Amino acid sequence: MNEQPPSHRELFVGMLQVALSAFGGGLSAWSQRIVVEQRGWLSNEEFLTGLTVARLFPGPNQINMAVYIGAAFRGLSGALVALAGMLLVPFSLLMLLGVAYFSFHTLPAVDRVLAGVVAAAAGMALSMGFKILDQYWKDPVALLLAAATFVAMQFFHLRLVPVVLIAGPLAMAWYWPRSSSSGSQP
Amino acid sequence: MILPHVLMAAHCPPTSLTDLGHLLQVLGTFLGLSLFSLGGGNTLLSEYQHLSVDQFCWLTSSQFADLYALAEAAPGPSSMLVGLLGLGAAWPEGPWWALLSGYGAELAILLPSTLLMVLACLSWNRLKDSPWRIAFERGLGPITLGILFQVGIKILHTADTNAAGVVVSLVVCVLMLRTRISPLWFMACAGVLGGLGVINR
Repeated sequence: MNEQPPSHRELFVGMLQVALSAFGGGLSAWSQRIVVEQRGWLSNEEFLTGLTVARLFPGPNQINMAVYIGAAFRGLSGALVALAGMLLVPFSLLMLLGVAYFSFHTLPAVDRVLAGVVAAAAGMALSMGFKILDQYWKDPVALLLAAATFVAMQFFHLRLVPVVLIAGPLAMAWYWPRSSSSGSQP
Repeated sequence: MILPHVLMAAHCPPTSLTDLGHLLQVLGTFLGLSLFSLGGGNTLLSEYQHLSVDQFCWLTSSQFADLYALAEAAPGPSSMLVGLLGLGAAWPEGPWWALLSGYGAELAILLPSTLLMVLACLSWNRLKDSPWRIAFERGLGPITLGILFQVGIKILHTADTNAAGVVVSLVVCVLMLRTRISPLWFMACAGVLGGLGVINR
């Protein structure tokens, strides 16, 4: 670990480096390589704690990770600077892509290619649930909760916010840690 | 040449963002949704679709599917889709206003979850072993699972491609789960199939 905590400028540049390195994927791996191995801002253990927090709280995981790193050294302003470093280039490129899309998507050739790309993207969306299904497979209550959530939204057209506000507290009550085993179960 | 579906009348009048009241309503909606972006944010995709297509009528269903695909193909987290929705919402007012709206929408969806994350970092040592943390983590997981399945079906429905397209979607889904091939390859191949007319909508 460095004795000197990174400045705002260094946080911005570091996160910018992560974002640029990760063009083409592997954001989490690049984040670890740059923040832990190259710059030595966090130990590996601290980094993994950060990932745990980032996954637990709402918001995109990698963006939360940038917030965690920034906040760890420079509080709120550090978090915002790290966030800006992480997002500015990829987001601005996406906005340019968006401007190109709205300018040209009525061209038949563009629309035909996009129809294909959309089919692939739909397959990616479909895989998201299956990806985390494994970890709940042996817990019938979890599967029941998931099924009830799915049915409420798919067939009864309930919106996300009321579903989470009703099912969330019920699920939390069920999974509230019993006094003897707090925190040790998987 | 313009495609017929663009010429067709909108299914409902789009909510204009030049009206300050509407703009605040839209920003407020995204600000509120921010704290519900469980599981890395993908749980919100159905809400985005509902808001931008059914409620505010900024986009057609196939435009939403296009923007989702663009956000997935571009580097960076897929929640940047919100910026594209903001862009699309204000596109009729001209590109500069649209860009402003895009950056504003993305800020609105990120700000509350960022502030909460900062609070979480500052109090993590106390929070770590709290029963609230454990119950939240274990309880919200299964709900996230249910939402993600609903989101997958919603996006598949929104994509609304022909039978060949649905087959490609299912194949991509299996390949995503079984291989570590970059999804960009799937999109590129499917894009070629679209260009050749095999996949259409």
